[in-house]
Amino acid sequence: MIVTYNWLKEFVDFDYSPQELCDRLTMAGLEVDALEEIGGGLDSVIVAKLESVEKHPDADKLTVCQVNNGNEVVQVVCGATNHKAGDLVALAQPGSVLPGDFKIKKSKIRGQISMGMLCSEKELALAEDSAGILILPQSLLLGQPVFDALNLKDFMIEIGLTPNRPDCLSVVGVAREVAAMCDQELILPAPQITESAVKITDQTSVVIEDADYCPRYAARMIKGVKIGPSPDWMVRRLEAVGMRSINNVVDVTNYVMMELGHPMHAFDFKYLEEGRIVVKRAQQGEKFISLDDQEHEMIAEDLMICDGKKPVAMAGVMGGQNSEVQDDTEDILLEAAYFKPTAIRRTSKRHGLHTESSHRFERGADIDMIPVALDRAASLIAELGQGEVLAGVIDNYPQPLQIPVLTLNVGKVKTLLDVPVDRETIQVLLESIGLRVEDGENLEQLLVAVPSFRPDLEREVDLIEEVARLYGYDRIPVTMPTGTVDATVPPQRQRVQSSLRNAIVACGFSEAMNYSFYGADSVEKLGLGEDDQRRQQVKILNPLSEDQSVMRTSLVPSLLETVAYNLAYRSNDLRLFELRPVFLPVGENACQERLTLTAVACGRRQPEGWAQTGELVDFYDLKGVAEELLSAVCINDVQVTVETPEPYLHPGKSCRLMHSGKSLGSIGEVHPQVLAVFDIEQPVYLLELDVEEMLAAVGEYSQFKPLSRYPDVIRDSALLLDESIAAAQVMEVIGRTKVKYIENAVLFDLYTGKGIPEGKKSLAVRVRYRDLEKTLTENEVAKGHDKLINAICQQLGAEIR
Amino acid sequence: MKEQIEQLQEKALSDLQLAADLKALQDVRVQVLGKKGALTEVMKGMRDLAPEERPVVGSLVNTLKDQFETRFAERQAELQQQAIAGKLASEKIDVTLPGRRAVLGSKHPVTLVSEEIVDIFSRLGFMVEEGPEIEQDFYNFEALNIPKDHPARDMQDTFYITDDLVLRTHTSPVQIRAMLKHKPPLRVIAPGTVYRRDSDLTHSPMFHQIEGFLVDEKVTFGDLKGILTHFLREYFGEGLGVRFRPSFFPFTEPSAEVDIECVICGGEGCRVCSRTGWLEILGCGMIDPEVFGSVDYDSDKYSGFAFGMGLERIAMLKYGVGDLRLFFENDLRFLKQF
Repeated sequence: MIVTYNWLKEFVDFDYSPQELCDRLTMAGLEVDALEEIGGGLDSVIVAKLESVEKHPDADKLTVCQVNNGNEVVQVVCGATNHKAGDLVALAQPGSVLPGDFKIKKSKIRGQISMGMLCSEKELALAEDSAGILILPQSLLLGQPVFDALNLKDFMIEIGLTPNRPDCLSVVGVAREVAAMCDQELILPAPQITESAVKITDQTSVVIEDADYCPRYAARMIKGVKIGPSPDWMVRRLEAVGMRSINNVVDVTNYVMMELGHPMHAFDFKYLEEGRIVVKRAQQGEKFISLDDQEHEMIAEDLMICDGKKPVAMAGVMGGQNSEVQDDTEDILLEAAYFKPTAIRRTSKRHGLHTESSHRFERGADIDMIPVALDRAASLIAELGQGEVLAGVIDNYPQPLQIPVLTLNVGKVKTLLDVPVDRETIQVLLESIGLRVEDGENLEQLLVAVPSFRPDLEREVDLIEEVARLYGYDRIPVTMPTGTVDATVPPQRQRVQSSLRNAIVACGFSEAMNYSFYGADSVEKLGLGEDDQRRQQVKILNPLSEDQSVMRTSLVPSLLETVAYNLAYRSNDLRLFELRPVFLPVGENACQERLTLTAVACGRRQPEGWAQTGELVDFYDLKGVAEELLSAVCINDVQVTVETPEPYLHPGKSCRLMHSGKSLGSIGEVHPQVLAVFDIEQPVYLLELDVEEMLAAVGEYSQFKPLSRYPDVIRDSALLLDESIAAAQVMEVIGRTKVKYIENAVLFDLYTGKGIPEGKKSLAVRVRYRDLEKTLTENEVAKGHDKLINAICQQLGAEIR
Repeated sequence: MKEQIEQLQEKALSDLQLAADLKALQDVRVQVLGKKGALTEVMKGMRDLAPEERPVVGSLVNTLKDQFETRFAERQAELQQQAIAGKLASEKIDVTLPGRRAVLGSKHPVTLVSEEIVDIFSRLGFMVEEGPEIEQDFYNFEALNIPKDHPARDMQDTFYITDDLVLRTHTSPVQIRAMLKHKPPLRVIAPGTVYRRDSDLTHSPMFHQIEGFLVDEKVTFGDLKGILTHFLREYFGEGLGVRFRPSFFPFTEPSAEVDIECVICGGEGCRVCSRTGWLEILGCGMIDPEVFGSVDYDSDKYSGFAFGMGLERIAMLKYGVGDLRLFFENDLRFLKQF
């Protein structure tokens, strides 16, 4: 909502400077988004007189003018043709900056000195278009700034209104707030109308067939109107508040809407068949062409303004092309009505027509303003269009509104706001914005009558807010709550989430955040099987674009895109993760959100540097990360299954992590064909963990194990094994075989190649023996170790090397 | 004899001093005290002396020996020091080369800001609650006093999954879920991802909010001001200017917007604060009785306040990030800075 400083002054006498006014409006809950001076910075554009106008000696289309600026006579070259000696003009002196950052400098044009520029209305942003330069009235003083001389100085104040304040969708509404601030009376317009002898009721009639959707419909008629342009003052005001001038009649309806807040409509009476108005619902499927030439298919829910035969306006939203005021219009039927907010909102949404009118009606117009607005507009149309207002008003208002009266408990104000206001103060505050306050049943109660322009005040608490607002939020004391709360431990879910994030960051990964939605084809890039659950995606009904149209069922496509993005910027060594939910549909109308941790790594293991090896990350780096993460949340007994877990992973370099028969996730090198789809040309390794499954597997923190004070004994054995035997099998046998004193066992070497037969590999295991109570003898260790190695040899067909 | 000893003494001590390294020093020792050493020779010669001279010469020899041993030890220590110093000097490295760092990752700035805010409110007794990102219309709108066909729905452009399921437009539905789950008194803080159908330079269709609320008996608007002023000063700095001004949210009454003194210009007025000196930082208010109605709390007995703020905005102010889109581009050069 835009108002202007001077326009406000017509309705309330205040002393605030424009900036001060804006600060106060903001603090009163009418947040000012912008304050802009009309004609700001144009003080060096002054009134000047053309002493002489002569043809430019070297250019046919230019004139050389001697211009009197009130001080001296200077020479200006001008390209216009509508000026002559003796005219008063707008001279932009050197140094002026015209709208659009157009800097005026002293210059030479085809050899002739030019000390500035003679301006058109367009160049001064006084009109959208103009032919020739601006010729000013002779009465103006030479040398005076043009904007001052024409009395055009004003300030545009743009207010970001909250939807609960339809009363402030007008200059008068904002003025009411200003009046309350500075304790002044609000001066409402009191239109004077000279009516002709002809009665409106003899010319037309109004029937409301749906009083629920249209509780009030009033009309006036003006005959013999001459359609033409509006006067400058009206055009400029409308432009200042963001409206385009159309003609004197349409402009008046808009002007009154901006001034009083009530949307109105003017019909060309000659197009109203049977010369009457019927307010009723549309016929299902009926076609209607609105003023903006759009065709709409109406439904039976839409309220229409009709004549005797057909619809002529979408009630409260937009008029129809068939009854539009045009250049040849003479007789006007002027409508001021009230429509049910939800009805207007539905029609406006359904047809995608959001207008100044629908904006006001759907938030709640002021039903009591109708007669005032109607008279104000009729008198202006009669004045500007030299028409004749017919006698009387048709005011169809079957069930006049009951003014709601709310009870306000003074004690409630004090307890909710914690401010020491008494009933008199409350009364003064509420009356300052036009509420009527009377004594209630007892001293603790006030009865507050809410006028029709404040439909948002429906409950006691709404009045308390008004008291707080008018009293001033800044005057409410700052206190701390006195109550107690139980100490709580964060739920397991949050603790696990935070442990996982901390651990993976410690492993060198940076957290990424991609949008939760992507294109429906994103999962296709992963080559998932036909019946893969992740192909069932939750779709957004109204996505911003196709590539943001379904909720992610996997974080992998987004992260691979992130990898590609970073590689394009030559960040080659990447370790990234996301810890966010995926969305899986459950039946038709529900969705499961599963928190997932997905990490990718590629490039060098260590950052580039003088002391770094330059080795690349591989499968085991990601496996190590997985092991760290599992240990960070105390998940033990995780098995690795070697069959390929995901179609988008390398079949020979991937595994699934299993716990108690459930999959916790997978690790692997991304399949080269999938990488190719993402235009990635280097190996990328992936770790995916299903945090929801992990939550079920999370164990207790581990218990302390006592430390031995005795020396250890180490035995190394190199085993020759079939290549197909997995390392995990060796470790399993070590775990299973009952040998005393084993502290731990580590696989410390893997070797194939020279000296090792084809199809075999050498795996070296180091076993550390130690006892809590005593120093082990060579014999004790040898016996145990032999048993262990024999078990491996027998069970896995291994040989000692 | 005596002269001979004195000469020997002079030579021996001077040889010690001349020995350039530990080996040469050892050689001098052998030359003097070895089996065929000069002093050994002298001592052998003592047999030929007159008995009365023997004690005199013996004493001289002993003195020389002691002196030699002392000097030897001294010189040996000296040469050892030199040898170590030389060895260390040869091992000198360029200490200006960069160190070998453990590769640490980084949390997303939105995560960092969220953790910091949760931490402050945890110390004030608030517990963390979460809710789904795909939310029912009831929790996202209806229960928060935003009925269908109400213009307040225009305040938030909504992504719909079905007529009844939306991508939550704010973290406020967590209020409803938490109040249905727990009875008052209640202090809750709820960070989360939210979605609005809006995308341009200053709007992202996905962003993050943190919601907080407190319900108890006799909670006042003053308490709301107290908690939020405390939080803002703890987060942005002691003595920070904070102002509350009237606003509108369907689920609070009275409602307020909170501005802080611009952290960029200190209230002087700059581009970031549109020359007002103030930055809009959060929305809040006293919980509307309609909301208590939706969760069956007795609004005659209980009152409370709620607040919500955008995490990206706070991160932008805290770290001086000028472009919202950077948060979701996931450029490693950006992520690594936090």
